[in-house]
Amino acid sequence: MEFLSQNSLYIVLFIVLICWIGIYGYLFSLDKKVTKLKKLINKE
Amino acid sequence: MKFKIVLGIVFTIVIIAGLSMPMVPLPQRWYELPIIPGLEERARIIFFHVPAAWVAVIAFILSLVYGIQYLKNKKIDYDIKSVSAAGLGFLFCILATITGAIWAKFSWGAFWNWDPRQTSIFVLLLIYGAYFALRSSIEVEEKRASLSAVYAIIAGISVPFFIFILPRIVASLHPDPIINPQAKIHMNPKMLVIIFASLACFTGIYYWMFKLKVCITRLAHQQQFNKEN
Repeated sequence: MEFLSQNSLYIVLFIVLICWIGIYGYLFSLDKKVTKLKKLINKE
Repeated sequence: MKFKIVLGIVFTIVIIAGLSMPMVPLPQRWYELPIIPGLEERARIIFFHVPAAWVAVIAFILSLVYGIQYLKNKKIDYDIKSVSAAGLGFLFCILATITGAIWAKFSWGAFWNWDPRQTSIFVLLLIYGAYFALRSSIEVEEKRASLSAVYAIIAGISVPFFIFILPRIVASLHPDPIINPQAKIHMNPKMLVIIFASLACFTGIYYWMFKLKVCITRLAHQQQFNKEN
């Protein structure tokens, strides 16, 4: 924590990382849904 | 496709600019930003935290608009759009809460202070959490769509109150938002350019994710319909 409060640029980096993880995670879940749908459609 | 490429390039530039433009006491060159007393490098968080909250507000308002459209036209497509918008709004609301909590830890001393702004975003998360709970508890499609449209409208009306009004009524540790009571923008013009570019990029990425989500939900709905008939 002390390192972070002295080098606050890393906090910003951490925040960008969180935004990226959130967006990536959501896109990943969308991708899983698409794959599932594709399988269902191919089955028919 | 062009839009996505441009968005990718501009977003990359915004992230690089937001992270690496040096902060100096007296900015002389075009790439230098001023130091904000008390915040220092942490001031850069604004380029990512504010757009996340902004997108959450847009998404919740869109959810309200599509809720109204559904009640008017009774077309299930509007329900799909309303729930997709609310889902993305919830995601960006969580991102704004987490990034805000980290910022609070290093500026105010604790991750959570029950500051009016933190309280209001927490209440918003609860409201939209209840929206998804409501949706999952109703099995009949039309009933679910109608009830959640009404809920989305009521929840959407409460959004401006929680985001814009409540934190201004009560004293808050949160710095003045970009749109403040004096209706003036107090920020360095270079920082303003980055923040507005970031707002545009986050809105663009929201639009892209929203279109994808709507498309997938529509397909899944169609699939379910074909199965049943």
